[in-house]
Amino acid sequence: MVEASAAKNEAKPLPRVSPATDILEREDGFYVYMDIPGVRREDLKLDINENELVVTGRALQGASEKETFLEVQFGPGEYVRSVSLSDLVDRENIKASLKDGVLMIHLPRMEKASPRRIPIQTV
Amino acid sequence: MVLDFNSLYAFPGRFERLFEDFFKPQFAEGRRLAYPPLNVSEDASAYYVRSELPGLSLDSVELTLTDKNLVIKGERPTEQGKYYRQERPAGFFQRVVALNVPVDRDAVRATLVDGVLTVTLPKCSECLPRKINIEVS
Repeated sequence: MVEASAAKNEAKPLPRVSPATDILEREDGFYVYMDIPGVRREDLKLDINENELVVTGRALQGASEKETFLEVQFGPGEYVRSVSLSDLVDRENIKASLKDGVLMIHLPRMEKASPRRIPIQTV
Repeated sequence: MVLDFNSLYAFPGRFERLFEDFFKPQFAEGRRLAYPPLNVSEDASAYYVRSELPGLSLDSVELTLTDKNLVIKGERPTEQGKYYRQERPAGFFQRVVALNVPVDRDAVRATLVDGVLTVTLPKCSECLPRKINIEVS
């Protein structure tokens, strides 16, 4: 019975939701905040392809089967959002954390290539 | 710089996304009218009020149970920095759920996991209709 209902849930695709996102800049780089309530860490994926950072997360609201709903204003869904990355972003040091349903991504700025003199060696 | 609308980069799925956004209903089935969104449900033993409150801890949410209402109150903070895009709602919010049913007031519990608030209001066992035996003397 439980397996059957689980299989049914798998078959039915969750509605895709674009999460509310803040993008802001601070001294040490860019910060992206996304509201993804109901997503656990295991159900969240962050991928970088080329110039895009893609966030996918599944929110399964923990209501039991026996409950009857009197009012529904939100429901289970799949959060999908992509953010384009500029060349200024240091891709190796991107950090992400999930707390209380808010995903924070820190995109540090690339160290500026400072001008330097190249020493000439005499052979 | 890190914006979604940056057009200096060639996006593989840019046009598809444009179409997807265009045909997508703006408000999913007319929801999202008030903030925060609420779900109200019941089962045999209790009523459940659920709400999406991302970024808040249970301490910063004020829950008040009055005679007839459950009031959810709080404030969402804003981050410091230079904003390029702001979509997340910020500021004070309040929602009032009218309770037209008797609940067991002392056993009301609230949890906040991953930004989803769940308030459990157990049905009052003493308030359920019951049969009274009339003894004839």
